[in-house]
Amino acid sequence: MSDARGRYGLYIHVPFCSSICSYCHFARTDRHDSGLRRRYAEALVREYELRSEACPALGSGHRRLATCYLGGGTPSLLEPENLRRVLAGTLGRSETVDDPEVTAEANPESLTAELATVWREAGINRVSLGVQSLDDHVLRLLGRDCDAATTARGLELACARFDRVAADWILGPGVELASLCDQLDRAVDLGVEHFSLYLLEVHRGTALQQDLAAGKLAMPRDAKFEHLYLGAVRHLAKRGVRQYEVANFARPGAESRHNSAYWRGVPYLGLGPGAHGFSGRGRYANPGAVEAWLAPLEGGRLPDGPVDPLDLQARRLERVILGLRTTQGVPLAWLPAGFDPEPERADRLWDVREGRLVLTSRGFLRIDTIEEFLA
Amino acid sequence: MTTNLLQMRNFCIIAHIDHGKSTLADRLLEQTGTVVGKDRQEQVLDSMDLERERGITIKSHPIRMMYDAPGGGNYMLNLIDTPGHVDFHYEVSRSLAACEGALLVVDAVQGVQAQTINNLYLALEHDLTIIPVINKIDLPAARPDYVAEQFIDLIGCDPDDILKVSAKTGEGVADLLTAIVELVPHPEGDPDLPPQGLIFDSIFDPYVGAVAYVRMFQGTIHKGERIRLFGNDKQFEVGEIGWFRLKRMATKSLAAGEVGYIATGAKDVRHVRVGDTVTLAEDPCSGPLPGYTVVKPMVFSGMYPVDNDQYDDLLDALQKLQLNDAALTWEKETSAALGFGFRCGFLGLLHMEIIQERLEREYNLNLIATLPNVEYELKTKDGTVRLVENPALLPDDREIQEIREPIVHAEVITPKEFVGPVIQISLERRGVQNKMEYLDTERVAIGFDLPLSELVVDYYDKLKSVTRGYASLDYEYARHQVDDLIRLDILINGEIVDALTCIVHRDNAYNWGLKLCQKLKELIPRQMYAVAIQAAVGTRVLARTTVKPFRKNVTAKCYGGDISRKRKLLEKQKEGKKRMKQVGSVEIPQEAFLAVLKVER
Repeated sequence: MSDARGRYGLYIHVPFCSSICSYCHFARTDRHDSGLRRRYAEALVREYELRSEACPALGSGHRRLATCYLGGGTPSLLEPENLRRVLAGTLGRSETVDDPEVTAEANPESLTAELATVWREAGINRVSLGVQSLDDHVLRLLGRDCDAATTARGLELACARFDRVAADWILGPGVELASLCDQLDRAVDLGVEHFSLYLLEVHRGTALQQDLAAGKLAMPRDAKFEHLYLGAVRHLAKRGVRQYEVANFARPGAESRHNSAYWRGVPYLGLGPGAHGFSGRGRYANPGAVEAWLAPLEGGRLPDGPVDPLDLQARRLERVILGLRTTQGVPLAWLPAGFDPEPERADRLWDVREGRLVLTSRGFLRIDTIEEFLA
Repeated sequence: MTTNLLQMRNFCIIAHIDHGKSTLADRLLEQTGTVVGKDRQEQVLDSMDLERERGITIKSHPIRMMYDAPGGGNYMLNLIDTPGHVDFHYEVSRSLAACEGALLVVDAVQGVQAQTINNLYLALEHDLTIIPVINKIDLPAARPDYVAEQFIDLIGCDPDDILKVSAKTGEGVADLLTAIVELVPHPEGDPDLPPQGLIFDSIFDPYVGAVAYVRMFQGTIHKGERIRLFGNDKQFEVGEIGWFRLKRMATKSLAAGEVGYIATGAKDVRHVRVGDTVTLAEDPCSGPLPGYTVVKPMVFSGMYPVDNDQYDDLLDALQKLQLNDAALTWEKETSAALGFGFRCGFLGLLHMEIIQERLEREYNLNLIATLPNVEYELKTKDGTVRLVENPALLPDDREIQEIREPIVHAEVITPKEFVGPVIQISLERRGVQNKMEYLDTERVAIGFDLPLSELVVDYYDKLKSVTRGYASLDYEYARHQVDDLIRLDILINGEIVDALTCIVHRDNAYNWGLKLCQKLKELIPRQMYAVAIQAAVGTRVLARTTVKPFRKNVTAKCYGGDISRKRKLLEKQKEGKKRMKQVGSVEIPQEAFLAVLKVER
């Protein structure tokens, strides 16, 4: 059944964690109790209502909800009643497409059989597991609160209970290619259909930054990153898992619909502390601190935060930088006049296919530099 | 106005740049009560932001002060604040011609400088009474006695005649006013004869058209009369006539001896040229005042909008600037590298900088300016002679019989310990020394004949640097002269970038080409791929360098992250690249077009 109406996405940020990973710079807190989590759920529903009113293009049937993504933080820390309340109050009140993709992120150690059942009943049909590594040494370096065996059990459980499972790996200190490929193989064999490989980034104010400054560990050099990244790209391809974005890989047809919509510039509502939203014309961001987000909503109004109205030029620029992230690439016509697209001249950082510039894996690894020339 | 000629004094202030001319004018205006209260600010007469910021005077600013002399008598003092830079030499000379006296101001720390002397000679040529003034005596490093000796050497005055003032604190300014009344002769001229007035400056006013600043030498002109200009024989009706306070003050007439303005209604200042003589159409005077010339540009530069969309805006801005600046010339020009733009002609380097800065600041344009060059006389083998203002238009070597370039007389005044380096840098730039004169035990005046092309490139900066800022320079056009000059092209990725073409002496071509390539290599940022830079004479490549491709760091921010932040970062980087011009597939920054200025010899 086709419906000509547009689509939109919904992102829900769950800021609660049981412990803080050393590298994380997202909106998150490990100071929370059941009272705060309940207030969070109520406020989130309230935000959905207020945002839908503020942005009628998304809320009143002009567009149908196609994807929903619960990220964090740790959504798996949300108790069943709060989770049901959140989903019922948002997803449950939206007009959706026939088969919406509903993803939730989980930590391997907090995903249980009971929770999996609750999630499935609440409509969650895809799980994204923050594996990061199946190597104890690497997990310790990352400050993860979970060992490799527990992580592997979480992965097995997810694959047993959900048809669609995605998993994240981090390329950073202590990672070796051979071990990484073994870990990816195990996940492929278990049935993971989607992989994200992130190059570890150091953000200000994180424990990781302090550890690096103190010399407790060292980041891999560029050449090592390149070796790991290109090795993993090749290895996954051999297993039928293809790169479709800078950091994302999937079996054909198993790409994340939610994330793909971001890169295509599809509008989405972002709810929760630190969440970003995109109306199609402009972007907004919520305050990252839980209280700063909660208080105004409990007072019946939307939290203040930066709003970025996009003019035509800004939208064009976004289109280029988002398009470049994917293997769809961008039409040559979008690139600046005078730009020379000949791949040989650019050290094969990209290919030109059917009038579109598509970065190679080597190009993806250098996308920040390339953007400066193409934006 | 009933002031008679005996109670009028017309004078100007001449000084080297930065010796405190405008500040001294401020004090005179204050002490005569001409400027009070809210009008008070630094450099009141310099109305352009640019003038205040750079501490220079670009246009003349006449002002009338009424002064009650302590010994009795009410005097009308007309101060003509003249431009203080060598580029505006002609305007200065016309302003001087409008006066009977000049305050020769010298900085008590720096002493006599090249422009002091040049302006002094100019004032003496006009028979002005000179009042020597030592300024900035409040400074701790002031050496008034030393400067006084320079004055005595220079003009043979009595030590007691030298006034010592501080324009900053006001010290000595009262005595200076008395001296002006006592020493400067009153103007002469019969108000009943046919009118004869000197135009010493002109500005464009969008409401009343071109406004001539005039000094009446004889006769009287009234509002509504028909005036005639000798230079171009044009006639205008006097729409408004008057004198100057901070603003123009309309009145009924201007009579012999007075300084004021005449609004002509002309649509363009070029019709009301500085130096021309104004008279009445019906009752003309016998002839023009002497000394009228049409000034010609000496220095040329291509000006191109970085963004081609700004071409029309640039055209519009140049038209507007030209309304008020008769010396600025331009014509349309097309560059293969830079697109559509204009070849502009200027009186000198400062004039060029001022115009460029005004285009960018007042008209919000983003410009690429090519290396300043001079006007060559080209004689081809078929015997024809023509002028070439753009090096890229020089024909093939085989067609050329000879090339003549403009030579200037340059005069440098320097403390004696820098004589060696000054001569060295001048000879390196093909200078021929023809004078060396000790002004006193410390300072030497050295004269050179120097190709103007060498002077416009970096001579002044170099002079300042080898003399630690102590030397001063003045120059004037002498002649065009043949030399063995050739065209040096720069190729980027195999294509000639016409905007980088220059004309050099054959003996210097190799060395010059090599250094230019090296400098361009430093200035052109790394690109996605290698960039080859070559210097060539005709088809012969003299030098080559390569800009290596950008080192592509592994920097993938793999998280999609905050797209707004990412975009803003890129927008900021793009802003930083605004001064880059896309030439072929290479982005070339504005500085690269001026690379020659940065080449060490």
